[in-house]
Amino acid sequence: MNRRDFLKASSASLATTVIAGTGLISWTPRAEAATISKTFYITDGYQNLITGDNVYFRGFSSSNNVVNVPGESIVAQEGDTIRITITNTLSTTHRFVIDGVVDSGNIGSGDEVTVEFEAKDAGTYLYYDSNNAPYNRLLGLHGGFAVMPGNRDDQLYDGSPTFVQQYFWIFNDIDPVWHNTIANGNTPNTDYEPRFFTLNGLGGRPPGAPGAHDPNLDAITDPRSALHGHIGDRTLVRIINAGKCDQSVHAHANHMEWLSLNGEIREDIWSKDCLYLDKDMGIIDAIYPFETPPDSYPPVSVGAYPMHLHTEMSQTAGGGFYMFGAMTDIYFE
Amino acid sequence: MGRRRQTEDTTTTTTTTSTMDGGGGGGGGGGGGGGMGNPCYVYPDSPSTPGIVTPDVTYDRSVYMNGSMTMDDGRSVAIWGFTDTIAGGGMDASGSFPSPAMRVTQGQVVHTRLNVSMMNGVHTIHHHGIEPADHADGVGHVTWDVDGAYTYQWRPMHPGTYFYHCHTNTVLHAEMGMYGALIVDPPEGPGTLISGKATYDSEAFWVVDEIDSSWHTLGWTAGTCGADVGLNVLNPDYFIITGVDASGSSAMNLPPISGQMRVGQKLLGRYVCAGYHPQHVRIPSGLNAKIYISDGRELPNPVSTTGFKAISGERYDMIIEPTRAGNYIVEFDIVDWITGEVHGTARTNVVVTN
Repeated sequence: MNRRDFLKASSASLATTVIAGTGLISWTPRAEAATISKTFYITDGYQNLITGDNVYFRGFSSSNNVVNVPGESIVAQEGDTIRITITNTLSTTHRFVIDGVVDSGNIGSGDEVTVEFEAKDAGTYLYYDSNNAPYNRLLGLHGGFAVMPGNRDDQLYDGSPTFVQQYFWIFNDIDPVWHNTIANGNTPNTDYEPRFFTLNGLGGRPPGAPGAHDPNLDAITDPRSALHGHIGDRTLVRIINAGKCDQSVHAHANHMEWLSLNGEIREDIWSKDCLYLDKDMGIIDAIYPFETPPDSYPPVSVGAYPMHLHTEMSQTAGGGFYMFGAMTDIYFE
Repeated sequence: MGRRRQTEDTTTTTTTTSTMDGGGGGGGGGGGGGGMGNPCYVYPDSPSTPGIVTPDVTYDRSVYMNGSMTMDDGRSVAIWGFTDTIAGGGMDASGSFPSPAMRVTQGQVVHTRLNVSMMNGVHTIHHHGIEPADHADGVGHVTWDVDGAYTYQWRPMHPGTYFYHCHTNTVLHAEMGMYGALIVDPPEGPGTLISGKATYDSEAFWVVDEIDSSWHTLGWTAGTCGADVGLNVLNPDYFIITGVDASGSSAMNLPPISGQMRVGQKLLGRYVCAGYHPQHVRIPSGLNAKIYISDGRELPNPVSTTGFKAISGERYDMIIEPTRAGNYIVEFDIVDWITGEVHGTARTNVVVTN
């Protein structure tokens, strides 16, 4: 397919097919290690953003006619064999990397490569394309990878505080000048100036806005991002920064139990309402405990609250559009 | 890094207004510049407070949008904030910066009564780090933005340092100065940080913020309707501590920003990262600083520190216990969130005498 054909198809299809995965991650431990097989297609296309800008993206996608940004999350358990087949549908060379775990090497245009590796240390990882760094990663070639401890469905690592459900929050920031420069086959030569900020590939759409409450367009509604729970539904959130901006992850209604930073288990677990998420692939694991909001009076058990980045520039789109940035909601049900 | 152009917000690319009560809360604004039109995606309402009871303590707050701050270079920068309507700051009178502090005791039922006049648009108060019911949380899109009078009812249960700020068009309103300190004392009151564990003799308030003066010409609706007003780029030119230009010496020897103490005493440094860019805090080792609380939660083990990095909204409460007299400089580098370059440094001091 030549580029012209692809753009025609993708500009219509991308808006509805950008979402990879359907929401809450379910996990059942197995007594025996398994082989997990996955196929990704490296694809590209344009997404029409809230400002009307058409912005170029690339993704590790579930088929060759969609673009998934981020790619679908993968969850395994220690001892599993992960087998991933990657087909590069683009004219450029790409790569599939999990730092310290696997590196596909170059995947040429039109090539299909299979990588196989063992899931070892329990924790949260980013898979991404390290070629032409940081451009391919920023353009969308990234996704979340998690390893559960063997035989446990409720711990981040052996002996960690427990949870009953888990989510990925993968943040990114987007400078459309950089994206579209790369689309034209060039290397950006301008200062990085992000104008869009996303959570799991989407910005917020506040009530009353076009696309509000549409899980395919609205990060506030997207079931992969919005936390839903009853009191006591302790929720692990695997937080990854694919972008280039330091961020403050700020949750309302409950403090978060801060378990890990950039792959290191924290010696002491602090309860924080703002977490410092490093730019350029920072990773944090935290538990949102779904406790009765401690300062409510009379005490309440239901309600809706935001999670947003407190680095407030990230709450905008296109230099305005407050609340169309990287945020979601937390629902006490 | 290039500065994005500033455009008037009067030509909106999106005219959709909120699903609640339609359009805006009166239009105007005191700041001048762009954003004087009707807002988009605000949720004006001022209902009665669910479950309201007689409080132990009440704070009355109104809004001012005609304030200013004079910097060390003589420039005046527009500031918005909250006034204390009972303590003499009448409706729409100009007020202090930061806004008047709230100081409450753990377990008290608190009312924050926000009164917003027609001419000042819509605003909220979010007690950052305090975790009340959603109708007391001050977040417009899940509840409402106040266009009249509303009472937030809450009961703080964890001692420490917090702050309160407007959560309507937050990116702009908090930058404009709409915040104030919020202290929760344990039952023993001031002088005790953690019951049975940590006490202090005096306090220093380090609410560290950066100001991009080019944002301070905008009106209160700027950025709500989609026009590009440059809110994705914060290019600060002033660096302040608790409302004082702190690039030079203005925040030195100025209690309660600077500490004044004797050897053998304990000073509590209450630090709030109130800006949007990361901050690198540098504390002389001779101050023997130890962090006991962060974000209003006691640490499992206190941590000795000579410096750390912090991100927007974080707070750190540290007890300072020097053993030698001296003039100790505490510095806060404001660091670009992308490049890591230092935009500027805010400074104050702790003066220790024998």
